Amino acid sequence: MKKIIPALLAMVLVLVFMLPAFGQEDIVELKDPAFTAPKRPAAVFKHDEHNELAQIDDCTPCHHEDVDEEGQFIEGDPDYKCADCHTVEKGNGTPLQLAYHKMCIDCHTEKKAGPVACGQCHVK
Amino acid sequence: MFNEIYELVTGPLAWIGWGIFLLGSVYKLASLWSLAKKKDTSSIYYTKAKFGLRSIAQWSLPFGTLGWRETPSVTVVTFVFHICLILVPIFLSAHVILWEEWFGVSIPALPNHVADVMTLLVIAGGTFFAWRRFSVPEVAFVTSGHDWFVLGVVVAPFLTGFLAYHQIFNYEVMIVLHVITGIAWLALIPFTRLSHMLVSWYSRAYIGSEFQGVRHCKDW
Amino acid sequence: MKKPVFDRKIEDIGLETGTSRLTPEKIQETIQNVLASETGAKLKVYHDTCVRCGLCSKACHYYVSHDGDPTYSPVGKVVQTMAVMIDKKGKVDADFIYRAAQIAYTECNLCRRCIHYCPLGIDTGYIMSMVRRICHKLGVTPQYIQDTAHSHSATMNQMWVKDDEWIDSLLWQEEEARDEFPDMRIPLDKEGADIMYSVIAPEPKFRTHLIYQAGAIMHEAGADWTMPTLHGWDNSDMAMFSGDFEIMGRLKRDHFERAQKLKVNRIVMGECGHAFRSVYDQGNRWLGWADYPVEVVHSVEYFADLLRTGKIKMAQKVKGPITIQDPCNIIRGRGLMEDLRYVAHAIADEVIEMTPSLEHNYCCAAGGGVINCGPPFKNVRVNGNKAKADQLRRVKEQGVDLCLCPCHNCHGGLEDIIHSNELGIDLKFIGDIIYANMVKTKAVEE
Ligand code: HEM
Ligand code: SF4
Ligand code: SF4
Repeated sequence: MKKIIPALLAMVLVLVFMLPAFGQEDIVELKDPAFTAPKRPAAVFKHDEHNELAQIDDCTPCHHEDVDEEGQFIEGDPDYKCADCHTVEKGNGTPLQLAYHKMCIDCHTEKKAGPVACGQCHVK
Repeated sequence: MFNEIYELVTGPLAWIGWGIFLLGSVYKLASLWSLAKKKDTSSIYYTKAKFGLRSIAQWSLPFGTLGWRETPSVTVVTFVFHICLILVPIFLSAHVILWEEWFGVSIPALPNHVADVMTLLVIAGGTFFAWRRFSVPEVAFVTSGHDWFVLGVVVAPFLTGFLAYHQIFNYEVMIVLHVITGIAWLALIPFTRLSHMLVSWYSRAYIGSEFQGVRHCKDW
Repeated sequence: MKKPVFDRKIEDIGLETGTSRLTPEKIQETIQNVLASETGAKLKVYHDTCVRCGLCSKACHYYVSHDGDPTYSPVGKVVQTMAVMIDKKGKVDADFIYRAAQIAYTECNLCRRCIHYCPLGIDTGYIMSMVRRICHKLGVTPQYIQDTAHSHSATMNQMWVKDDEWIDSLLWQEEEARDEFPDMRIPLDKEGADIMYSVIAPEPKFRTHLIYQAGAIMHEAGADWTMPTLHGWDNSDMAMFSGDFEIMGRLKRDHFERAQKLKVNRIVMGECGHAFRSVYDQGNRWLGWADYPVEVVHSVEYFADLLRTGKIKMAQKVKGPITIQDPCNIIRGRGLMEDLRYVAHAIADEVIEMTPSLEHNYCCAAGGGVINCGPPFKNVRVNGNKAKADQLRRVKEQGVDLCLCPCHNCHGGLEDIIHSNELGIDLKFIGDIIYANMVKTKAVEE
């Protein structure tokens, strides 16, 4: 027993440190840690595959900082997290969940391609 | 392909459905009211808010009336069925997100597992009613195709919604079916027995007033 | 489930000759006419919204007494009659009309018990009375009740009582009563009296002693009262139940106008239920009165008042427990249950209630004109009210030998039920008991 607990702890630690490494390699889902109690499985999103398919080269509009006078997104730094500006709780501006939903669904609707209904992204 | 269909059913079709529901309800109530003013003036005359509200309040209590007490199983199922039927479509978290995204209104949402149970209760209630229509002689005798149709229409969005949420069978097919049956549910309210949702308030208030006001007797 | 066939057709000469004269065109036209001109949103709402849940079934004594036969449930009766007429836009045949008439006239007492059961507040009694209205307009009515309607129309009373016979009956009862109360009068046409006392025509016809008793009680109480010699004295109203609303209106107008001509303060009416319904509920509305134009006091209220104020005192009370029949038209129809309880406890040592009672009482199955459909349909109401027989049997087992029954129809109905079930319970009007047991200060010494 006394040996098992440290062994388990070590394993957990290793796993925890490995996670960001995975993320950097290839984003597979939008698991934003800002959502402390998510109600659905994280949305499936393969960053590179998505952009290749959708033929997107720019980082805007997804990665943006604020909007200009005409309401267009200003290019942003991909190193920033969405949650740095968009809060989970309602405050000023678009709340985080709505920001994600609008960003994906509005574009998919406009392009008539890509998932638009809940279960298409939040796959069980 | 899916995107086009989804856009169609959540766009134009939904607008048409809501339009039929809202305008149809207004039309239904207005036409009944004008008919009542022509033909049922005495019924209007005797209807009083005080008695009507008293009657509605009493009938809103499970087991609060003789009728509710006589068939307890139906009473329990009817109350649970209707409460869930009304609350789930409005406060389901997925719908709450849509209210926000489409109309910018934000309302609190039911926790998912609660909504899930409530959906199952609606389906179970519907199954119970279907069983009655088959097996209970006084219900079977008066049941017609219309009643089956209405029951089917009402339960269908809950069944498809449940299957879609749990991603059982093909999700894309299920979600489209869910939206279509949900819209049918709404659009059929003014034109079928489901119109009891709109007018039973008045028929209850009227008979309550006849009893309490004219007949000096409670109607429960 | 296959719809059970209607296999209880009863031969009645009125229904038979009536249906034999029908043509499909006449049926359709009549139904369409009544639906379009005499019904409105009320019937439409009942028809459109009834969710066919069957909850009303257990309300109906016919359904209960036939062990849950669904063709006798309130909604079951609607789907066999009005619902079809509406759905088929009047395209039904003569056999259908016969069946509809038999159901509406003899298998529903318009007792409205089912309203305590329907969550949507659907008034099946109203629907059945509109079926009767259509049958009446088609000339398809049971012979006996039609005869009473004819009598109403020709004589303004229900029993073909001629003008002189009426006055004769009153004078005869006065004479009889004067042996007991030397100063007693039945004041005729006394203008400006406080009370006009009105009865139903079966009283002078079959139950004249009730007039004697009423006279004795009025006399003992020192009431300022009168009875009219002319038409308008009969408060009964079978036309209301046969669907002949035009005659119903004439009758009620005649009754009220008689009281107005006599310039009385109020009408006190004998122990009758349906006549009361026709003054506070149906006849008055046909005439455009929200309530009655002259205050109408039912005997139950009147007796309660006499006993409360001490104008009548009881010399003795009935020994042993009695039970109470709550007549639909004065209890569920007009809330006189408290007064009736007061009277019952004032005249009897002990009261044992039937279950259910008060506003949840079961009808006697004679009401709503059913007993007036006559002998062909006697078994319909007797077999259709095993529920009442069971109620009575239960109180009988607790020692009840007497049932207080302040309604003529209930008397008729319960009498047959008690007889055919050999229950051995006596039926009494309140007036019977008060007359027999009151303190008689104005009577001759015995
Ligand atoms: C909010 C007002 C409403 C009231 C007061 C109401 C009342 C009732 C009542 C009293 C019953 C009969 C009970 C029973 O069958 O056991 C009933 C049945 C039913 N109601 Fe409602 N209801 C309302 C709204 C709705 C709505 C919005 C729907 C769905 C669109 C609905 C669908 C049904 C169905 C399908 C039945 C029949 C169940 C069966 O097959 O027996 N109701 N309702
Ligand atoms: S007899 Fe009474 S309970 Fe039965 S259907 Fe008629 S009104 Fe309703
Ligand atoms: S209880 Fe009311 S709604 Fe239900 S079947 Fe009877 S009349 Fe129709």
